[in-house]
Amino acid sequence: MSSSPENVINDPATPSLDDALVGEAVLGVYRQMFAALARDSGAVVDDPDLVDVAETLLTAFADAGEDGLSREQMRYVCRRHPAEVFENRLRVLKGLGAIREVFPKPNQLRYRASFTSVVGLMFVRRMMLDGGQSEMHRLLALEQLNVADPRMTPGQARDGAEGLARAFRLWSVELLTLTNGTIEELREQAPKLWGTEEILLRAERLHGAILRRWPQLDRTCTELRAAIYAYGDASRRAAARLTDSAGTTRNLTLLPPETWRTFARTASREDLAAVLDGFVFDAAAPWHEPSAVVTAVEDGPRTTPPRPAPPRPSVPDPGLSADTGSDDATAERLRTVAEQVLRGGDRVAVEEVLGDDWVTARRMLADLSAAHLHPELPYRLVWSDGMAVREGGSPTWLSPGTFERTAS
Amino acid sequence: MSVEPEVLARARSRVLGTPSIPASEPVPAGLTAATEVDGSRVWLLPSWPDGATPALLEEYQTAPMPLDRPGQARRVLAAALRCCWSRLDDAPWPGERAPLAAVLEVYVGMSRGDSELARRWATGELRRLADTGWLLLDHDTGTVRPGPRVAMWPEESLSSLRDLLRRLPQPPEAPGE
Repeated sequence: MSSSPENVINDPATPSLDDALVGEAVLGVYRQMFAALARDSGAVVDDPDLVDVAETLLTAFADAGEDGLSREQMRYVCRRHPAEVFENRLRVLKGLGAIREVFPKPNQLRYRASFTSVVGLMFVRRMMLDGGQSEMHRLLALEQLNVADPRMTPGQARDGAEGLARAFRLWSVELLTLTNGTIEELREQAPKLWGTEEILLRAERLHGAILRRWPQLDRTCTELRAAIYAYGDASRRAAARLTDSAGTTRNLTLLPPETWRTFARTASREDLAAVLDGFVFDAAAPWHEPSAVVTAVEDGPRTTPPRPAPPRPSVPDPGLSADTGSDDATAERLRTVAEQVLRGGDRVAVEEVLGDDWVTARRMLADLSAAHLHPELPYRLVWSDGMAVREGGSPTWLSPGTFERTAS
Repeated sequence: MSVEPEVLARARSRVLGTPSIPASEPVPAGLTAATEVDGSRVWLLPSWPDGATPALLEEYQTAPMPLDRPGQARRVLAAALRCCWSRLDDAPWPGERAPLAAVLEVYVGMSRGDSELARRWATGELRRLADTGWLLLDHDTGTVRPGPRVAMWPEESLSSLRDLLRRLPQPPEAPGE
């Protein structure tokens, strides 16, 4: 503002009359700047409509030119808004100096608008739209220009650097608070706060420029550098937290539904498949036991009354061996064995047909006995008394017997 | 990292359902092979020790693999077997091909209510049964035949199923035969 930076730096402790004047001037600028946001002279508006009134008025003033607007014209411009709202706004804007009489005398009918209010409103709109980030871009760009300006003094440069350092510090504190808070809040707020590479790059470039031109400001520059790096860390950490949680949770609300829908619509087949990479689906296949199939059919709804089934256990019961001897297949096999043993003859001695090793001999013996016992087969096994001991033989003892065909 | 081949084969058959390999390749240990009709390929099925089946879980009071509408799925399976397993004295695998329409007809004959709805339900169940290897669907010819999994049924457990299939409604005569 109007005070010289040297004054402020050299003599910050004792306020003088000049300082009071400077402070009043700053306050005036603030009041004008926030007049558009004030609901009445003491508070800030809580309704965007009220800002609209101010904006409409300021636009009308810009169109009106140097004559300004009369009260009726102002009312006409704001005809969309209710009368009492308009009156309230006009009173506030006048009270705070955003709109004032063309000439300061009583019964003045024509008004003009303050340029500062318009700029303030533009600034506020911008801040509302995209947070402090783009403002930071502008500030950095502006500061870069200032540094290149030959009229710039080291004091001004220090003020600028300190302000930027403070902004970066506060910025990273806010990000860190968010990072340690809930993930939903982080998702909501972080995109407005975390930085791009570009901001960091610009800040560092500015820092380098200040340091090159005024090496005596190295302490301030160190502060600024630390603040920039702290901010970079905080923004990286916030991003890491967000991507971590987005990658591991099933909480699909981490991204807005529209994003998911767009992804699902536009992703390639490979992208969609990659979502489930690393998952193996190996659910065991269902098993349908035959008895379960039977139960399901018998319990199922049906049109016709079921034919009564013979009483049988639904669970399979192995019971006696299926090989009951009455089976044709068994009889056929035994007949084949018997005929092989007899080799066309009518009788054969058992000891001749038993093999050398006991494993085959006992099977043969079992078959012959089965053929003997089978009621339908015409064979029999006749044992005689006595026992031959055969030392070292495969059956070590043997009763003489014959296997013979019966007459039937 | 080396994995034992039979462990890998078992895991693979679990993930893929019932994979099939050329009959010339060796069957890994621990898997049962159900040979295709023409003998060119075999289906690999995980087998259980001592000839047990998952029905054994019931004896240990362990819940089996959960299944949506198991009754309906099994009724559709019975209907399909009624058409594909025509020679009941043989084993159900490999069975014969039967037109899908015949299976749906049998199922409609078994069930009550809207026949159109029953057909739609049965079609869904046929697909699910085919996914799990209980049936083999051929979409080109519109036919179905028993899946390799029925080869895992122990022979002695089949008698009640045979009795049941004899009592189910006859499949309609195919127009071509």
